[in-house]
Amino acid sequence: MISVNPSTSNLEKLDLHNLPAEQTALDIKNLDLYYGEDQALYDISMRIPNNRVTAFIGPSGCGKSTLLRCINRMNDLVEICRIEGQIDMHGHNIYDKNVDVAALRRRVGMVFQRPNPFPKSIYENVVYGLRLQGVKDKRVLDEAVETSLRGAALWDEVKDRLNASAFSLSGGQQQRLVIARSIAIEPEILLLDEPTSALDPISTLTIEELISDLKEKYTVVIVTHNMQQAARVSDQTAFLYMGKLIEYADTDTLFTTPSEKQTEDYITGRYG
Amino acid sequence: MNKWFKSGKPWIWLTAGSVSVSLIAVVGLVLMIGWRGLSFFWPSAIHEMSIEQADGSTRTLIGEIYESESVPTSRVSDAGTIMDGYEGEKVTRYLMKIGNREYVPLDFAWVLGPAIRADETPAGLAVIERTKDGNFYGYPVAIEQQGERVATQGNLREELFQRMERAVELNEKAMALQEGEIGAINYELTQLNLQRRGLELSGSLTEEAINDIEQRREQLQSQYLEYEKELFALRDKAGRDSLIMRDMRGEEIKVPMYQVLDVNFPNDMGFFAKLGHFFQQIGKFVSEPPREANTEGGVFPAIFGTVFMVLLMSIIVAPFGVIAAVYLHEYAGKNAVTKLIRIAVINLAGVPSIVYGVFGLGFFVYMVGGSLDQIFYPEALPNPTFGTPGVLWSAVTLAILTLPVVIVATEEGLSRIPPTLREGSLSLGATKWETIWRIVLPMASPAIMTGLILAVARAAGEVAPLMLVGVVKSAPMLPVDGNFPYFHLDRKFMHLGFHIYDVGFQSPNVEAARPLVYATSFLLITIIVGLNLTAIGVRNHLREKYRSLEH
Repeated sequence: MISVNPSTSNLEKLDLHNLPAEQTALDIKNLDLYYGEDQALYDISMRIPNNRVTAFIGPSGCGKSTLLRCINRMNDLVEICRIEGQIDMHGHNIYDKNVDVAALRRRVGMVFQRPNPFPKSIYENVVYGLRLQGVKDKRVLDEAVETSLRGAALWDEVKDRLNASAFSLSGGQQQRLVIARSIAIEPEILLLDEPTSALDPISTLTIEELISDLKEKYTVVIVTHNMQQAARVSDQTAFLYMGKLIEYADTDTLFTTPSEKQTEDYITGRYG
Repeated sequence: MNKWFKSGKPWIWLTAGSVSVSLIAVVGLVLMIGWRGLSFFWPSAIHEMSIEQADGSTRTLIGEIYESESVPTSRVSDAGTIMDGYEGEKVTRYLMKIGNREYVPLDFAWVLGPAIRADETPAGLAVIERTKDGNFYGYPVAIEQQGERVATQGNLREELFQRMERAVELNEKAMALQEGEIGAINYELTQLNLQRRGLELSGSLTEEAINDIEQRREQLQSQYLEYEKELFALRDKAGRDSLIMRDMRGEEIKVPMYQVLDVNFPNDMGFFAKLGHFFQQIGKFVSEPPREANTEGGVFPAIFGTVFMVLLMSIIVAPFGVIAAVYLHEYAGKNAVTKLIRIAVINLAGVPSIVYGVFGLGFFVYMVGGSLDQIFYPEALPNPTFGTPGVLWSAVTLAILTLPVVIVATEEGLSRIPPTLREGSLSLGATKWETIWRIVLPMASPAIMTGLILAVARAAGEVAPLMLVGVVKSAPMLPVDGNFPYFHLDRKFMHLGFHIYDVGFQSPNVEAARPLVYATSFLLITIIVGLNLTAIGVRNHLREKYRSLEH
């Protein structure tokens, strides 16, 4: 059986199905998603609590990344993608017609599977989002760079070469740089899409430690196909299979006493 | 054998062979053009030959050997030349450049090898470059100052160089005066006329304005007269000396010093003197304007025109092509219409360039230019300003011609940018436009440069459309000068490509012009390669800067 991170399990358990509004970061209601004629997500409903780490797990192609990309409307980029249902953030549906997508994405940051630093210096990578918002004050930018890099546990490694190219960093450092870049604009929610799948074990460990720190300030949603990782870093876990939400519970409940047969099969390695 | 085929070796040989053939072809071409073009600048020996003529008398020829060829004896005798006592099957004949155009019927002569009785390259033979009638070959005899001989044998060379430099300097001064001050006055006078006509057209030509203009005109006229006096004085001074030369007929001929550009004694030169002369000649070739219907002198206006036009075209085509590519790739819906447009754009690259020339003449010159004239330059009518071929329309026409290249290359570049980088930018709250501007375009800049390189390479060598929209055999003024507004995009210009055609095939003196064709071709290749290398350098720099991780 998978061991659950003790620091995580010490948290007070939430009643995920009747989560009060003030503790809810995201309320996903009856979400269906289609790629052209093919339905990829079926009637997903769940509440994601704030300042916690929520993990989506499931076999490849189960729709966990797709669901994650619904939260900051990254799926808008896919022309044939169509969404029904809604996702509420502070009581407002992010799929409303008059929602400013760019503003939404400033509040919902995202880190991708592979590190994707911009071909700029480390400094410019971090301040990219701020520059977009028109921040020009050098002091503000400098400060943001230090805070964000510290927040992403990268400051000590790069503080002497902020003007070096971001490509001079190792893969793990690049991924932390991308996290720093995301938190520089102080989002409410941070989406992590398999953030360690392209990294070596040591970098993975650093990032996992970082994730636990991040939840103090941000609501974190992480997609992973690594069950151990989900168990180590998350407070609650959702298991998706074939586009359906099978089970959503506290991480230790889900991993120790899953209520669904499919969940049990998956976490005991019978498929996936 | 079968095994050998199966091993794949023949295909390796085949592919390597075709690469070698292309390589040899290109290198051979460049070497041939380079050799023939550059050897023109190397000072060749001046021969003094005595030739036996058909009637038994001999005749002296002085000149450079231009080329030699071997022809069957029968062909020569069939042509009517009597070849008594010559047994060989083939006979060598030489083409000599004997110059002295105004004293001989032809400044080139064919000489048959067996007819040469004596051939030597005596010291003291001089070649004189003149402003008209081409080179003069002969022996300097004396220098005349206002009809009196002032220098003969002893100090002749020293005096000759000294006085030549003086005359050249005076000539240059006169030229500078004519092109600078006097040119500016002429320009201002034209502008005054236009101003007056403009006021007349707008109905505001008052007495006061007329007086003003007349006053200004008189002022300019008096200035002009002064400069003219100065100019004539300079010319008079330059005309003080003349050089007495003995030509191959043994006659003494007076060459006015103001016509002399340079005097050389190639038979007396050592290797290093020749080398120095070689580079000096190349320098003159690229820095001086052509003379005598382009058969002599340099090609500077053509170099300037080519580079200026190509740069102007790049400035037009780069933003236009990039914007079009961005729309096609980023914003246009992915449907049949977009596909159709893309195919149309690619096919545009295959339209013969002369068609673009006709289009440019009809649309840009007559329609756009004509309308511009109606609106902005009514005072100059019926003389067209922009409604006539000029450097701007050439650049615009070539920009249209090269647009597909830039669009295709840019689109290619846009599609190579990893989608994760776009997503990264979007996820930080950038709009699509901000992402394109800050991330996508900088990263696509190497591809854009590639497009521009291809465009420049194509445009710099293009001649056919230019003949319709702005190139001329000889342009009196460069498109950039010291008169406000400094860039005169309405002017016609000279172009190296057209210059090659003109010198090679429209020249009154084909033999004299032939080396110029090679030299100009070599120069055109050098310039295109130079432009390309610059662009490639910029591209590699950008590539290094925006090198993304292998995704």
